[in-house]
Amino acid sequence: MTGEGGNDGADDAGRPSLADQRGVESVYQPAEDSALLARAVRERVGDGDQTLDVGTGSGFVAAAMAEAGADAVGVDVNPLACQQARERGVTVVRGNLVDPFHEESFDLVAFNPPYLPTPSEREWDDWMEQALSGGEDGRRLVDPFLESVGRVLAPDGEALLLVSSLTDPDAVREYARQHGLAGERVASEKHPYEQLVVLRFVRV
Amino acid sequence: MKEDLMDIICCPLDKHDLDLEVEDRDDEEILSGQLVCTECGEVFPIEDGIPNLLPPDMRDEAPA
Repeated sequence: MTGEGGNDGADDAGRPSLADQRGVESVYQPAEDSALLARAVRERVGDGDQTLDVGTGSGFVAAAMAEAGADAVGVDVNPLACQQARERGVTVVRGNLVDPFHEESFDLVAFNPPYLPTPSEREWDDWMEQALSGGEDGRRLVDPFLESVGRVLAPDGEALLLVSSLTDPDAVREYARQHGLAGERVASEKHPYEQLVVLRFVRV
Repeated sequence: MKEDLMDIICCPLDKHDLDLEVEDRDDEEILSGQLVCTECGEVFPIEDGIPNLLPPDMRDEAPA
C-alpha cells in the first residue's frame, strides 16, 4: 500500500493521504504488500493444502496459493472484488472475514487487511476506502480477524497477516496472544513511509 | 461455485451446515441457486457462480 501517492498530499507525519490512492478503482489492486504476502504464502503452502485468502480483492494472493498447489478459496465483502477474483479463476465466496467457514477447515489463512490508520473525518464511504482504511488505529479489521481466525485453523494450521509499522505490529501480536494465538515475524520489507511485516500465527 | 466448497462453508450466523438448492449449473460448478441454513433457515443466494454468505444485515450496507 506504499508508493502510489508519492509526496503530494502527504500529511504531517509524512504519510501519503488515502485520497492520493483513491484513483477510480473500486477493487484494491496488488501492490508491494500483496507481493510480500504472496511470497511468504508460496514458501509455506504445499500440495493439497486447503487455504483461504481473506479480503482477496483482485484474487492475487489466492492465485499465488493455487499456483503453489493449494486448494485455495478467496473471501471478500466487496461484490466487485468477488467478480474480479472469479475472473482470475479463484474460487470465491462473498462473506465477512472467516465467518462463513467451518471450524478447523484451513491449513493456512492469509489476510492483507486495510491497515492505514485513518482519522474518521478523512474517510469516505466507498469500496476503495473500505479496502484501504484501518480506522483510527489501523486495526479496524485486524482485531476481529485475530478474534476469529483460530476457529477455522486446522490443528496444525497457521495464519499469515500482513501489517505495517504504522499499525504497531507488537500491539497486534499482544492482541493475538490474548485470543490464543502465538505470533512471530516471518518477513519484512522497508518502504519510504512504513515497514511492511508478515506475522505468522498459530494456535497456542 | 464448485460443489466441494460445501465441505468448508457454513452459515455465517450460527455455523451450522447449509443445504444446497441448485437453479442452474454447468459441467464444473453451480451458477445460481441458494444455500439454506439447516438450523436457522436463513437463505443465502448464489449468483453468477458466487455464493453470498454475508449476514443479511451486511448485504444492504454496500458502499457506492
